Amino acid sequence: MSTKKLSGKAMGYLILCGLVVLSWLIFKILTPHNFGSFSNMLNYFQASLIATVGAVGFYFVMVMGMFDFSIGANIMLSAIVGCVMATRFNLGYFGLIVGCIITGTIVGALNGMFYVKLRIPSMIVTTGLALIYESLANYIAGGVEQTLPSNLRAFGQMPGDIILALLACVVAYIFLNYTKIGTYTYAIGSDEFVAKNMGINVNKYKVLAFILSGAFLGVMAILTISYGSSMVAVTGMASMSRNFVPTMGCFFGMAFKKYGMPLPAIIIGEFVINIIFFGFIALGAPTAIQDVITGLALLIIITVTTKATKGEIVK
Amino acid sequence: MSEVRLQVKNLCKNFGITKAVQDVSFDINKGEVHALIGENGSGKSTLTNMLTGIYSIGSGQFILDGKEIRPKNQVEANEEGVSIIVQELGTLSGLTVAENIFLGHEDQFVHLGLKNTNAMNRKAQELLNQYGFDRIKASDMIDVYNFEDRKLVEIVKATYFNPKIVVIDETTTALSQEGREELYKHMDRIRESGNTVIFISHDLPEVIERSDTITILRDGVYIDTVKSADVDEDALKKLMVGREVTGDYYRSDYGEKVSDEVVLSVKNVTVPGLIEDVTFNLHKGEILGFGGLSESGMHEIGKAIFGASYDREGSVTLADGTQINDIPTAIKHSIAYTSKDRDNESVVLNQSIGDNICLPSLDELAGKGPFLSDKKRRDFANKYAKQMSVKMVNVDQFVSNLSGGNKQKVVLARWIGKDSDIVVLDSPTRGIDIKVKQDIYQLMNEMRKNGKSIIMISEELMELIGMCDRIVIMKDGKISGELERDEHLDENGLITMMV
Amino acid sequence: MASQVSANTKEQELRKVSKMSLVRSLLPIVGLVVVFLLFNILTNFRMMGNMSLVLSQVYVTMISAMGVFFIMTMGGLDFSQGSILGIASIVVCMLSKISIPLAILGGIVAGAAIGAINGYFYVYRKIKSFIVTICTMFLFRGFIKYLTTNSPVAGSASLINYDSTALKVTCTIVILVIGFVIFRFTKFGTYLKAIGAGEKAAMFSGIRTDRMKFWIYVLAGAITGFAAFINVIKVGSVTSSGGNQLETQILIALVLGGMPISGGAKVRFENIIVGSLLYIVLNSGLTMMGFTTQMMQLIQGIVFLIFVAVFADRESIQVIK
Repeated sequence: MSTKKLSGKAMGYLILCGLVVLSWLIFKILTPHNFGSFSNMLNYFQASLIATVGAVGFYFVMVMGMFDFSIGANIMLSAIVGCVMATRFNLGYFGLIVGCIITGTIVGALNGMFYVKLRIPSMIVTTGLALIYESLANYIAGGVEQTLPSNLRAFGQMPGDIILALLACVVAYIFLNYTKIGTYTYAIGSDEFVAKNMGINVNKYKVLAFILSGAFLGVMAILTISYGSSMVAVTGMASMSRNFVPTMGCFFGMAFKKYGMPLPAIIIGEFVINIIFFGFIALGAPTAIQDVITGLALLIIITVTTKATKGEIVK
Repeated sequence: MSEVRLQVKNLCKNFGITKAVQDVSFDINKGEVHALIGENGSGKSTLTNMLTGIYSIGSGQFILDGKEIRPKNQVEANEEGVSIIVQELGTLSGLTVAENIFLGHEDQFVHLGLKNTNAMNRKAQELLNQYGFDRIKASDMIDVYNFEDRKLVEIVKATYFNPKIVVIDETTTALSQEGREELYKHMDRIRESGNTVIFISHDLPEVIERSDTITILRDGVYIDTVKSADVDEDALKKLMVGREVTGDYYRSDYGEKVSDEVVLSVKNVTVPGLIEDVTFNLHKGEILGFGGLSESGMHEIGKAIFGASYDREGSVTLADGTQINDIPTAIKHSIAYTSKDRDNESVVLNQSIGDNICLPSLDELAGKGPFLSDKKRRDFANKYAKQMSVKMVNVDQFVSNLSGGNKQKVVLARWIGKDSDIVVLDSPTRGIDIKVKQDIYQLMNEMRKNGKSIIMISEELMELIGMCDRIVIMKDGKISGELERDEHLDENGLITMMV
Repeated sequence: MASQVSANTKEQELRKVSKMSLVRSLLPIVGLVVVFLLFNILTNFRMMGNMSLVLSQVYVTMISAMGVFFIMTMGGLDFSQGSILGIASIVVCMLSKISIPLAILGGIVAGAAIGAINGYFYVYRKIKSFIVTICTMFLFRGFIKYLTTNSPVAGSASLINYDSTALKVTCTIVILVIGFVIFRFTKFGTYLKAIGAGEKAAMFSGIRTDRMKFWIYVLAGAITGFAAFINVIKVGSVTSSGGNQLETQILIALVLGGMPISGGAKVRFENIIVGSLLYIVLNSGLTMMGFTTQMMQLIQGIVFLIFVAVFADRESIQVIK
């Protein structure tokens, strides 16, 4: 039995590594000169870490079967609060880290609480709340682009970003495998009724999942603003475009859950997505086409990983 | 002589207007296997679900070793010393075997918020080995094991902490002989250790052989408690049904000749994994019964005839040569179907009674043009709801608030309104009280006399014997026997073909 | 005796439920009237004077909302409407140089095509509708950006000539009336509600649910494709933000109109009209009061949450995800 399980995990890694090699190979053949050198790949990997951090947090929410449309708004709000605390209040790195993570956590807690108390589908609640977060971010930013001074961008480059991302992944791994939260997350995702009968306080753990997810999105906000150096507070749900990349990583995690390696799958999955991104850029595809590719890639990944069972009711 | 373990006192539970358990009181002793029997809807599972915290207690008390218990969920019940092995799958996918065993009881492995997964796996493996289930590995995902093995994990989960009472709810039907033996072994072990098993089963010989005491429930009411050694199957059956099966309950006619006219012929129908190469004819004015164990594939027969099966092979043909391959064609050609899964497949729960009754008949109601008149629809719905005497305020009321029997009446009203000639009824009286049952039997009899053909699929053998002109018995997806209507027919004859 | 009592309480309960549903059905209308009056008083009846300006924003939303209304009635969701509008608008602009009727037709076909893509993945690949439509939203938004990278896509100069309130009002009313009659007085509406309320049972009642679901997505795309024409005649060209956030507007509008998000038997056609109007009145009222965009969005968000909380049909869904 244990050999079978090992091979399951090995199988998962094999598929993922295959994907990495395949995507690398395709673009390397198409544009041999400006793509895919070792340092290129390292850059792609660094860039992919940003979304990875958000994705591992969001995974807790997603496994339970819930969804969050306010990811983008959360990142934006957290990044702006962090930036403002670091610059306007002169708190430096401390302000940046604490500001981002605390804001992210609060946003997550609000999402969870509204969802549990109002008893409305999470997707809808978070849509409404995203409107509010966006406008709050706008107020705090005062309508101006918030720039992180260059002396505070250690998390935007090696080794700062890798250390922070690694730390976040380790924390997520511990939560998932070595706490009750992890077990209950899977239990609730598997069958909420049974979980409730087993005496699990389902609502409490749902809120906890949102809080966890929020905290990780706060970390993602640190990486995002450090990497991109500034953040504009957009309105009109435009922050939604930030939802996609972490969500895609999460889908990788969900798809590879059965191999018992969701977190590595998220990390490698985000890496693959970034290879494809940069591959297209190297090909000279216009930036606007990137969204098309993202959308298409996501659709294909989901289609391939979803088993269409006959007679199943999907809403 | 023997000490009382659990006193059930004046227990009641209602679901809406359905009285699932009514003022039930009896005692269960230490060191015994106490069987709980009764027909479907007699309240056995409701009672044990209240005991184990799955349902809340309506009114009344459970007194365990002199102390009242009121568990709010299974974990609380476990802490009181009560556990349950359920009918369906009680383990959660996506968790390891060890996580499943200790779900809700992880705290013993948690230090400073961190769960010691290794210790948990080790403990679980120890338990599994103790039970002799060495081949199950505690650290594996539960998903890699089949139904049978997952049930074994449940046995461990429900009994490792030496509970005072273990409820085994219709678990045996789903198990193979080997799995059953395994379960019996553990039942005996629990009894010998002075604890108690509450055993729910439909299989009467099994009940008599394996239990010490038997309590019979009927329609939510306590009937009697007897010693297994003192009774035989017939006596139990009489207690369960409550009377000799009389003429006014089922049909009373025998020896009537059924027409030779074939209205529907089913040829070589196979649904992968469910039924295999089934062939039979349905005659005009006939009630054709299908009996068997729940998993025998008989429920799929109804779906196959109605065009609702996926990947069906073979043919379903009407007298005029029409092939039935999908639901709309079936309905168009006067076939009606009521599902065993009433809430999901028969009624649209969150819609009005009126819309539910009109749904398949909208084309006729619209007439030639595309437009529907509200009044026509209302009148139509009212007419058939009244004819079936559905208990309701008006037809705008949502179906979700109705009792099981009333829901079934709405379904039947719909098909009577459609005036279907071939009616497929899957478990038509499941979870329905005696009064409505009788209405349904009478309705079936009338329909038969009016030349309609009925296929009745049922797990209740008595109603098959009472109502059908012919009974086809299914086993493992195949037809294993056929019996003609006869007043000397009894359940044993059927059961031998079923198992 | 006991059964008598329980029957009585049951009846009372039912009466209470029906009273609640009355309140729910009236609240949006009352809300609309109150908000309208309130803003008129607050803005010294400037809103009344600018009614045509206020209404000029409602047509596209209201027409497209009808398609989404059908989708949501059967329990699905569609977040790709904005991108459908954008793509269809570009098609209308391009074709308008050849002929206007062809342009209108082209818009409808483009919309229907995207609807068909949504429908295919949702119905035949069994992927949740909101995931599919988010993907297509993103995908086609990318296309819109790409097509408008250098400059907005301009239509024929004659397009703007069609921009008259009369035409827009007529189109909107005609479409809504057709939609209403079909929804309310043919089997179509009952089928849609049945699918939303219990898809399996609907299937077992003889409704070809998969086919119906697919075609509703095509229809919703086509309707928005037509709305693209109305959208384009306002300015005569499409920028990269063409149709941006229409899906959110529609969702908010329908919720404000009292639509239960899970669809089913409790939806009413009025939800579309009342909701769109309420949304527009709220929006333009807040603008006229001189609120900033952020403030408006904050208020929108709060109002949205309150309305969803009030109208959510919690009895029908056991597990809320």
